[in-house]
Amino acid sequence: MTVVSAFLVPGSPLHFLRPDNPPWKPIIDGYERAARALAMSRPDAVLLYSTQWMAVLDALWQVRPHLTGLHVDENWHEFGELAFDIRVDVNLASACVEATKNAGITSKGVDYDQFPVDSGTIVACKLLDPDGRFPFVMAANNLYHDAATTTRMAEIAAGIARTQNKKVAVVGVGGLSGTVFRQGIAIEEDRIASESDDTWNRRVLGLIEKGETQQVNDISAAYAEEARVDMGFKHLAWINGAIGGRYFGARVHGYGPAYGGGAAVVEFKL
Amino acid sequence: MAQGEIIAGFLAPHPPHLVYGENPPQNEPRSQGGWEPLRWAYERARQSLEELKPDVLLVHSPHWITQVGHHFLGVPHLSGKSVDPIFPNLFRYTFELDVDVELAEACCELARKRGLTAKMMRNPKFRVDYGTITTLHMIRPQWDIPVVGISANNSPYYLTTEEGLEEMDTLGKATREAIEASGRRAVLLASNTLCHLHFHEEPDVPEDMSREHPQNYEGYKWDMRIIDLLRQGKTSEVFRLLPQFIEESFAEVKSGAFTWMFAAMGYPELPGELHGYGTVIGTGNAVMEWNLVKAGLAGGRPVGSTAPHQAA
Repeated sequence: MTVVSAFLVPGSPLHFLRPDNPPWKPIIDGYERAARALAMSRPDAVLLYSTQWMAVLDALWQVRPHLTGLHVDENWHEFGELAFDIRVDVNLASACVEATKNAGITSKGVDYDQFPVDSGTIVACKLLDPDGRFPFVMAANNLYHDAATTTRMAEIAAGIARTQNKKVAVVGVGGLSGTVFRQGIAIEEDRIASESDDTWNRRVLGLIEKGETQQVNDISAAYAEEARVDMGFKHLAWINGAIGGRYFGARVHGYGPAYGGGAAVVEFKL
Repeated sequence: MAQGEIIAGFLAPHPPHLVYGENPPQNEPRSQGGWEPLRWAYERARQSLEELKPDVLLVHSPHWITQVGHHFLGVPHLSGKSVDPIFPNLFRYTFELDVDVELAEACCELARKRGLTAKMMRNPKFRVDYGTITTLHMIRPQWDIPVVGISANNSPYYLTTEEGLEEMDTLGKATREAIEASGRRAVLLASNTLCHLHFHEEPDVPEDMSREHPQNYEGYKWDMRIIDLLRQGKTSEVFRLLPQFIEESFAEVKSGAFTWMFAAMGYPELPGELHGYGTVIGTGNAVMEWNLVKAGLAGGRPVGSTAPHQAA
C-alpha cells in the first residue's frame, strides 16, 4: 500500500502560536494525536498540499532540498514568528513535476532561497512532524485549478511514489468553514462564528467519520458555498486523489475555532 | 506646525516584471529588459516625484491581505529579501525601508475613530509584501523617503464590493485627516493594476515582448474607457462605473487602493496625467498622476526648504 496514512489539518498559525488558549487547545491536542499516528504509519515521505501556498500560473512543487527560515504571518503578526526547518524529498518532488507536466498540467519546480513558505505549510510540518523525521513533497494551490485537477495532481503524486517504492502519508492543509471574526476579539472567547457553519462542519465531519464518501462528495459543493469553506475544500480533493477516494471512516482528533472559522484535525482510516 | 497636505496621488501598479526588466542591483534575477514603455512611464513619474519633494510616501498594497481590520507597518526600519511567490524567477529583492511610524499610528487611530478596525504591525521580523516593495522601488528607487505601508483588508472580497470599498473610502478620509494633522507633505500610491485578466503560462523567456499583449479585448476596452475618463477628470463617473469595471474585467482596484487614494484626495474632478500604459502577462497597467500642487489644490514646498530626506 503506497498511501499509509492521510490527514486533514488546519493551516491557521493561531493554535501553534498560542497553544495555551483554551478554545485552541482541541486543535493542538488533535495535532499531537495525528503526529503520533503519522509517525506510526512510517512513511518515506509526506505529500502535502496547503491552501495558503497560492499559485496562478503553474502547478508549483517545492524542490529545494532544505527550507529554513522565520516567517511572520501577515494577519497574526502580533502572536510571534514561525521558525521552520523542512526537508524535501527532491527526487519524488521532481518526478511529480515531470509527471504532472506529462499529464497536461503545466508544472514547475521551485528552488529559491528565502522563498515565502506559507503559514499553513509551516504549521502542518511542525505539528505533524515535530522532530523533523520525514521529508516532504509540497504542492501549491493554483487558484485556477478546480477540485478535479487537484485530485488528479495528488493521484499522480501517489502514483509516482509507488513507482519509487515509497510509502507516503498524505496531508491536506486548510480550514473548514470560513465565517470569521473581522473585528478584534478576546482570543479566549473564540468560537465558531456562525451557528449554521458549525452545523455544516459537524455534519460533514460526521459523514467523513462514517466513511460516507459518496455523501461527502455529493454535498461538498454546497458545503463549500454555504459555509465559505477554505478554497472550496480543495484540500480534501487532494487527499481523495492520493487515496483513490476511498476511506473506511475517520477519526476527528480535534475540532474547534480559528478566529471564528472552523478547524479540524482528521485522520482517515485507510 | 503647518497643516499637512496630500500633494499628489499616483496609480502605481506593482508587476514585479518591471523591476526584473530594470535590473537593479537589489534584484537577484537578471533580464534582457522588457516592458520598456511601462518602465519609461515610471521614469516620468519618478521625475515628478523628485520635483514634488514629499516628506512621506503612503502605499496601499493588495498583497498584504488582512482579515481583522486595516493594518499599518509600525516598525521604524524593516529589511529583508522579498521573494514573489508567483514570480520567484523574476523577483528576489533585498529591501530596506524606513517607516514613518508616527504618521502610521495617527492614520491607525483616526481610522479607529471613524469606526474601522485598525491595527499596527509591530513585529520587526515582518517581511514586507512584494507589492509594496515593487511599487516603492518603481516610484523611488533611492529608498530615501519614509513610508507608511497599509494592508488591504479583505472586505471587498469577504463582504460585497460596495461594502468593502466603503471601508476603503473611510480609510482614505482617515488618512487625509492624519496627514493634515501631521504637517507632512504626502504622496499617496495606489498599488493597483487595472484589468487583471492574465495569461496562465509564462514564455520561456519572460521578457519576450512578442508574447506580451492584453489577455482580454473586453478588459482592454474597459481599461481604455476608465483611463480616458480619468484623463478628462471625470472622477465621479469613474466611481459610478467602478463596480461594473471590477465585475467585468476582474480589475485589481477591487482590493481598495484606488478608492482609498481618491477618498483621501477628496475625489477631485481633476484630469489625471497618464505617464504610460502597458500590459504585463496580459494584465492592464497604467501609471497615472494627480498632481495637486500643479492643480493649485496643494501648496508647493517653500523656496529654500528641503524635505527631511534631503537634509545633509
